[in-house]
Amino acid sequence: MNLILAGINHRTAPVEVREKMNIRESRLATALSDLMRREGILEGIILSTCNRVEVIANAPGLKDPEPAVRGFLADYHRCNLTAYEQHLYWLRQDAVVEHLFRVASSLDSMVVGEPQILGQVKQAFTIAQQAGALRSELREVVNQALVAGRRVRRETAVGTAAISIPYAAVELAKKIFGSLDGKTVFVVGAGKMSELAARHLTSSGAKSIFVSNRTYERALELAALFHGEAVRFDAIFDHLALADIVITSTGAPHFLIHKADVERSLPARKNRPIFFVDIAVPRDVDPAVNELENAFVYDIDDLEQVVDANKKQRAKEAARAEDIVRQEARKTMRRLASRELAPTIVAIEERLNMIREREMARFRGRFGSLTPEQREAVEDLTQAIQNKVLHGPISELKSGAGNPEHRTLVQLIRRVFGVPEPRD
Amino acid sequence: MHPDILWAALAFYGLGIALAMPSMAHGRPALNSSALAALGLGLALNSAALVWDALYLHRLPLTNVEAALSFLAFCVAAAFFLIYLRYRITWLGILVLPFAFVLTLAAAITAGPVGGPGALRGLWLTIHVLAMLLGYTGLFLTFVAAVMYLAQSGELKSKRPRALYFSLPPLEVCDRLYDQSLIFGLICLTTGILTGFLWASRDWSGFWEADPKILASVFTWIVYLILGSTRIRGHWGGRRSAYIAIFGFAAMMITFLGVSFLSSQHGYFPTISRTR
Repeated sequence: MNLILAGINHRTAPVEVREKMNIRESRLATALSDLMRREGILEGIILSTCNRVEVIANAPGLKDPEPAVRGFLADYHRCNLTAYEQHLYWLRQDAVVEHLFRVASSLDSMVVGEPQILGQVKQAFTIAQQAGALRSELREVVNQALVAGRRVRRETAVGTAAISIPYAAVELAKKIFGSLDGKTVFVVGAGKMSELAARHLTSSGAKSIFVSNRTYERALELAALFHGEAVRFDAIFDHLALADIVITSTGAPHFLIHKADVERSLPARKNRPIFFVDIAVPRDVDPAVNELENAFVYDIDDLEQVVDANKKQRAKEAARAEDIVRQEARKTMRRLASRELAPTIVAIEERLNMIREREMARFRGRFGSLTPEQREAVEDLTQAIQNKVLHGPISELKSGAGNPEHRTLVQLIRRVFGVPEPRD
Repeated sequence: MHPDILWAALAFYGLGIALAMPSMAHGRPALNSSALAALGLGLALNSAALVWDALYLHRLPLTNVEAALSFLAFCVAAAFFLIYLRYRITWLGILVLPFAFVLTLAAAITAGPVGGPGALRGLWLTIHVLAMLLGYTGLFLTFVAAVMYLAQSGELKSKRPRALYFSLPPLEVCDRLYDQSLIFGLICLTTGILTGFLWASRDWSGFWEADPKILASVFTWIVYLILGSTRIRGHWGGRRSAYIAIFGFAAMMITFLGVSFLSSQHGYFPTISRTR
């Protein structure tokens, strides 16, 4: 196994560079076959999203695979890489494994914990698999990276807290209503922000929408956009009993919805909770509404506060996610290393066995005629010596698997036993 | 009861709680597999202890207080698994699992020779005890749901999310768990009280209706009955019914443990002879 990774991401390169190096999904298969045609490259995968482009290759036959990957990138983008040198990072071997695991777990993302990246890695894996570019070790590495990514999502809360205002509103709604399926949203004041919030809510499952606006035409427009129902501005309070989530963003200079208005609607609601998202400044909903049982009012500052708390929560969980990633990466590297050892162990055993048999044949004449029992005893004796001699080196080989200095040890032991370097 | 198996169950419950604590406290989406394995083993051993006794006695081993405790521990732990599978509420374990642990501990400490005093025999009585214990489990879960509801609605009202906000389930899930466990608990409690009355009217003499445990049980039952009916009609929402569920559970615990020591009929203790 000889892994190399060349990449740029949101930290190393501005968007102008990233879009230049981006490889569209429809062209990934062609790009992969270009990469695979390079001399010595056995496996490859390309991960190309709006925040990163990474090319990973496994070239066990090459001493240094960098020129091959460099050549691929330059030819594919028809450019001179020297202009991008400062943005590119190169990783090798274990560092590739660890990096890919962090990427799949969304720890290397611009927004740590964002959920898309795991799907993007999976997509890249599928494409590479279909293109026949994943055959052995690299397939194992990517596969295990997906396993690690899923484990991080399951066992840490790194991806659970919303860190933008509209999503924080959706998340709060979910903390109140559980699922948003079939819930009714009431948009009061048809502005850009309320439209955005309504869009987030409907894409999370909220069903019917009422829209009210001082100019009724604008309400009709927005209602049509969401297949909702426009409500006349003076009929707002009649609809409070029907709504679960109320988003307010009117330009009114004073409170529009008072405690008494909401209190009146409560009996008809049979104590179902109601959630006010007040993104208007000055505010539309009297904060005293929050004192009512089952009514929750969040203004823009409250949402900001939630976002802040969420960011802290994510950072705390990210530390734990790093632990999981390190653990999983080490496990994979150890497994790959011990698998890589198998040919070395077999070769050494074969070599010693060959010597033993040759010497046995040579001495057969000197022994004269042996009884079958005697012959068996000699066989056992020589076999036992061979096993004893091999025991030390083999357990040494196995115990160090996965350590960085292990490669040197393997080479040394091969040389001591006179076994040539393998050609994968 | 077989004390060794119970102690082993207790050890695994304890280990499971320790392993699960970080996931529960931080509200992670799932419990880690080692914690689930330990808890599962604890539950398996707990049921093994019950099966052991059942085989020995050829009937449900609910003959004495330690058996009842061990069965209750089993119900509570099993309920945790069921709810975890259904709702994935990891935080639930913080309240539920230590309760199962304490019940198992109490059962293991008091465990005597199998068969015990053998005070409780007969089909009606078995149904009575079984229904009461299942009812306790259900209403304990109502209590837990109520506590989670109060805490989460407090977090949401405060608008300053702390650790609890992240780890507690949505209000609606607390509500649903509350209603489901309340209905289940109420049905079991009603069955338990009715069979108890049936059996008592047949087997007991004297003015047994004045037994403190019976009075306390009927009082608790009425509290829950009122609570159930207001919930169904949607009259009381959220916080008020949550407080009542907590009060109801406290009353029930006093009924189950406290009054047992005062009641002559319900003492479970062999020294107090039954009148016939």
